Amino acid sequence: MLGSMIINQRQHVGLQKLSAIATVAHSTLGPRKKYKFIQDEATGESTLASSCLRILDNLDLVTCAVSQLVYETIRAHHEVYRTGAGCLLFFAGAWSRAALLCLQQGIPTSRVVAAMIEGMDLCVDVCKKRSVSFNALCVSTRKRITEASLDSKVIKGKRQVKLSRHFCNTEPGTILVPEPRFSDVARLAAGLSHGCDDAMRLVIQASRIQSKVIPNSVLDVTKVTTCVLPGFPEDHAHVCSGCVILLNPDQASVAHDLKNKPTSVVLISGDLSHSYRHLGFNRPAGIQCVGNRSNMSDLSKAEEWMGKVLEVLSHLEVDLVLVSGLVNAAVIQRCCQRHILVVGKVRASVLKEMATATGATLVTYVTQLSKHCIGKGIQVSIWREIGSHEGTPLTAINLDAGGSTRLVTAIITSPVHGKLQSLEDRFWACAYRVHHALKDKAVLPGAGVTELLCIHRLMKKVEAENPADGTRGSNPYLGIILHLLADSFTEYLAAVMANSTGTSQVKARAVVNQKLQDVDSISADFSQLILDSNEDIPPSKVFDNLSVKQESWRKALDLVLLVLQTDAEIITGVDESKDGIHAGLMFL
Amino acid sequence: MSRLVRKSPALCTDLPLENSDILNKLHLLGQLLRSCFGPSGRLKQIHNNIGGQVVTTSTSSVLLPAIYSSTPFLNLILASIRNHVSRLGDCGLFAAILCVTLIEKVKQSGLRQNEAIRINKHLLGLCTTYLEDKECGCKVKFDFSSSHNLIKLANNILCSKPAIMLREYETLHISKLAVEAFLLTVPSNSDGVVTLGMTVIVPIEGHPVMESKVFPGLLVDIPVGFEDLESRNHPCSPLRVVLFSTSLAGHLSEIGDGPIEVQYGTDMDSHILDQLLEIGKQVFKDNVKICVCQKVVHPVLQQYLRSHGVIVVERVGINLMQPLVQLTGAQPLATLHSTIPHKAYGQVGNVILRQFGSKSMLHLYPAEESVICTTVLCHRNETVLNELKVACQKTEHVLRLTLREPFALLGGGCTETHLAAYIRHQCDAAGSASVFGCLQTEYLLGVEAFCGSLESVAAALQHDSEDSLIDLTCAHHWTLPKDVTQEDMKSCERKCGCGLIKTSQTKKWCHLNTKYPVFLPASLSPDATVHAEVLDSFTAKLNALQVAIETVNVVLDIQYTIQDVN
Repeated sequence: MLGSMIINQRQHVGLQKLSAIATVAHSTLGPRKKYKFIQDEATGESTLASSCLRILDNLDLVTCAVSQLVYETIRAHHEVYRTGAGCLLFFAGAWSRAALLCLQQGIPTSRVVAAMIEGMDLCVDVCKKRSVSFNALCVSTRKRITEASLDSKVIKGKRQVKLSRHFCNTEPGTILVPEPRFSDVARLAAGLSHGCDDAMRLVIQASRIQSKVIPNSVLDVTKVTTCVLPGFPEDHAHVCSGCVILLNPDQASVAHDLKNKPTSVVLISGDLSHSYRHLGFNRPAGIQCVGNRSNMSDLSKAEEWMGKVLEVLSHLEVDLVLVSGLVNAAVIQRCCQRHILVVGKVRASVLKEMATATGATLVTYVTQLSKHCIGKGIQVSIWREIGSHEGTPLTAINLDAGGSTRLVTAIITSPVHGKLQSLEDRFWACAYRVHHALKDKAVLPGAGVTELLCIHRLMKKVEAENPADGTRGSNPYLGIILHLLADSFTEYLAAVMANSTGTSQVKARAVVNQKLQDVDSISADFSQLILDSNEDIPPSKVFDNLSVKQESWRKALDLVLLVLQTDAEIITGVDESKDGIHAGLMFL
Repeated sequence: MSRLVRKSPALCTDLPLENSDILNKLHLLGQLLRSCFGPSGRLKQIHNNIGGQVVTTSTSSVLLPAIYSSTPFLNLILASIRNHVSRLGDCGLFAAILCVTLIEKVKQSGLRQNEAIRINKHLLGLCTTYLEDKECGCKVKFDFSSSHNLIKLANNILCSKPAIMLREYETLHISKLAVEAFLLTVPSNSDGVVTLGMTVIVPIEGHPVMESKVFPGLLVDIPVGFEDLESRNHPCSPLRVVLFSTSLAGHLSEIGDGPIEVQYGTDMDSHILDQLLEIGKQVFKDNVKICVCQKVVHPVLQQYLRSHGVIVVERVGINLMQPLVQLTGAQPLATLHSTIPHKAYGQVGNVILRQFGSKSMLHLYPAEESVICTTVLCHRNETVLNELKVACQKTEHVLRLTLREPFALLGGGCTETHLAAYIRHQCDAAGSASVFGCLQTEYLLGVEAFCGSLESVAAALQHDSEDSLIDLTCAHHWTLPKDVTQEDMKSCERKCGCGLIKTSQTKKWCHLNTKYPVFLPASLSPDATVHAEVLDSFTAKLNALQVAIETVNVVLDIQYTIQDVN
């Protein structure tokens, strides 16, 4: 074991590393994202990445503890929000530089931590106060319950735990909030597109399809799936009801037979093969067969299994088998001969939705199948024939369970193979932005206005902290640190402006400072600087997500504080005699 | 072909405490531990040298198991502290810092080792007697009629772990949850021997801390894809439960190793499956509504049971088995080869499906009053969530200790300074040097090393070059920030480390590392319990003190270390 101490606290190595990693976020900020081309010297492979997570995905980050923490945080954020990772990483970098400046001035760590937390509370408060509730946004003439956000506060008050032997455990009351309509979503979506108008167009289409099926609910991201098709121009992207699956010619011929007639479907989780066993099944070792005949070969066993499968499927008059795991080509072919379409590698979410829509039961083995397990009412239609670059033509079919499912597929197309991932990511980012806005029932003013309000609020507090008569609050460094936080927001706005309009840092700062003079009348022209001037959405209608912004700020601050408060790295399993040459390591 | 490798001779170190390399390492260990101590302690990133997972922590129960030294001498110290932490859960860093500091101070004082050992033993006796005395000035009696003290104690443990990254209101929320969970594990009506229940912690990543909650009963994971099936209403309550500890996956799990001979044409899998279905039939016939298995359940059996209205829960894991047994009263079945005796069945009151983010869990309510509960802990990322989980486990442990000894010690370094002042006073009054057969000067050196070590533990709470002060009335611990002078202290209202005394109540302060006149620290006002803001566990701290001093005495006695390097 050894401890490697960071000897000079004023040159905190961890914060320096964090700030260095965060520079990758700069190009991904704002509505106009820049692509990064990442090349692996060893394998010669290269990737095109335009989001923070994809860049980090392609970097080798296990070498340093701080980068691992960064990656872990970004991943966790992406899992839930799908957007805002760039903002998170940018602020992690900016605040780690702020913390470094504080340390260089000799400000004690505990003061830095306390002041940064106080600053964050101020900014979160700004978000709360300036958020635009969904009710205010929707101009439909429906009757609404006003001030839904106030109601929720009251109920939260009631939920406080009583400090007695009997802690009360009340369930949160349900608040009646008008359900948004599709027209509201379309309006909201335009403001949340952040430059990804094409992706948002798909989200709006998806919402339109879903809202037709169930009128009171407008977008359910768990029932959205994507299908990427290389080779087509980007404007071929669209959304269709049901799910789209690519088939090879054998399967396609069966699909042609199945189209326009109601099919019966079975759903199988796991692989469809004779050797597959469910998770957790251990094959016993050391089994010897005794008897008068020689052992059956694997081949004949597989044949026997195949026969059984075909018998069961034919007997139950199954037309379509959807499998979540792998299916080998031979099995697919044998089934095709019997006019049974077998499709492997279907997403679990699709299977689940198909199960609900058709009444089919998910099974692990074909032998489990009975009449009750079969789902009815799936429509198979041929969507398009696609020439593949390997020569074998592919056919895209659409499986739709009719009116009873809300499953929709976004088909994402691009002639550039390397761009598909970015386009898919953007689609999900847009979908989740709308999803979170609907969940929060509120949005923030976008196009930099929220950040500007935060700068304003922080600077007001700074002024209050440095009064002329010299009296100071409990933390004498609060003013300095809040000032640094305000600077980091300016830095953020400048970086976004630089990305979208090519404004220089200095000019961008000047614009921000000028706008701060009359913050109460923040007008559209400032926002126009951040957005591209030829956008057709008025900047006052640009929104940011409330929860996403707050969480990414919080996570960024957590990351910085975690690194700031760390003063040593303990590396285990190092041999003193072998690794003794490492500089800066101390052995225990 | 085998090759003989000559064994290296054992490594023998003479008088390890004279060895500068070992002393340097001891000093480094001291620095490392001291920097982690207390609410403003620094964190450590622990990882292995091949890029494994990074753990960020300042908690002794995570930190100490990660630290191994190449020197057996240090490993001896670490092992005894680790042992204390695993037994009592808290005050591990206190013990470790006290131990390392006292060894260094004894070394610096130039005392002969056997004299130092005798003096330490004597002083430890004085401390223990004083702390266990009714009149002890740094101890408060626990008042179980209100939950305030419990919450304060829990809050203090959580506050001392900066890596959990909680705001004040979040810490309070978690403290309340910890106390709520603790109270749920105490049986409310039992005669004779009281058996405490258990709290199971379910960590959920990526959600705000304030969504953490305590539930009576247990939460178990539900197989993916079958969430919808479980939410039916069950009018007949309580529901009968069967609990399997053996695998129901359909393989031969009970035969052990060795070759098996199978007749040609026998389909073993289907034979075992038939047997599983037999069990399924019995379970259904006996009107069981919930089937819980520690391991995997064969999908065919699952399908059979579900189609007959039985809820199937698989892969709950070994850790949940004991709480499940306590909750349901069922006996876990370890074999497939016998019919299930009726007395093996247990019961639950009700089941409800609960949703946490994307995770669905089945909530099993107890049929009668039960001492099993579940704490759902939410936090923003994995690193801080792990630390929070450990902190909550420690808190539960410490809260339980209060039932055995209903006392708490003043926190914030006040117990240490108070104890040091008391010992100084006791030793000054009784000239007991002759009892040990040593010189008065030697005796005073020993006392100074001991008290100085206690005080330096209190001073270790400071990490931002603040000064530590002691007041000359009650001998409590005070913090003097760098930018505040002693004169300022008097003018503005401040409180001591434990929050019991205000600046107005005392007149003189002295720096901790300077000599101050010997005095008998004043005892507490009777309402101390109400006003102390920071409390430490009595049992854990007393034991930590004993472990630290006894370890020092063992270490001082070591003449040789012999290390087998093969």
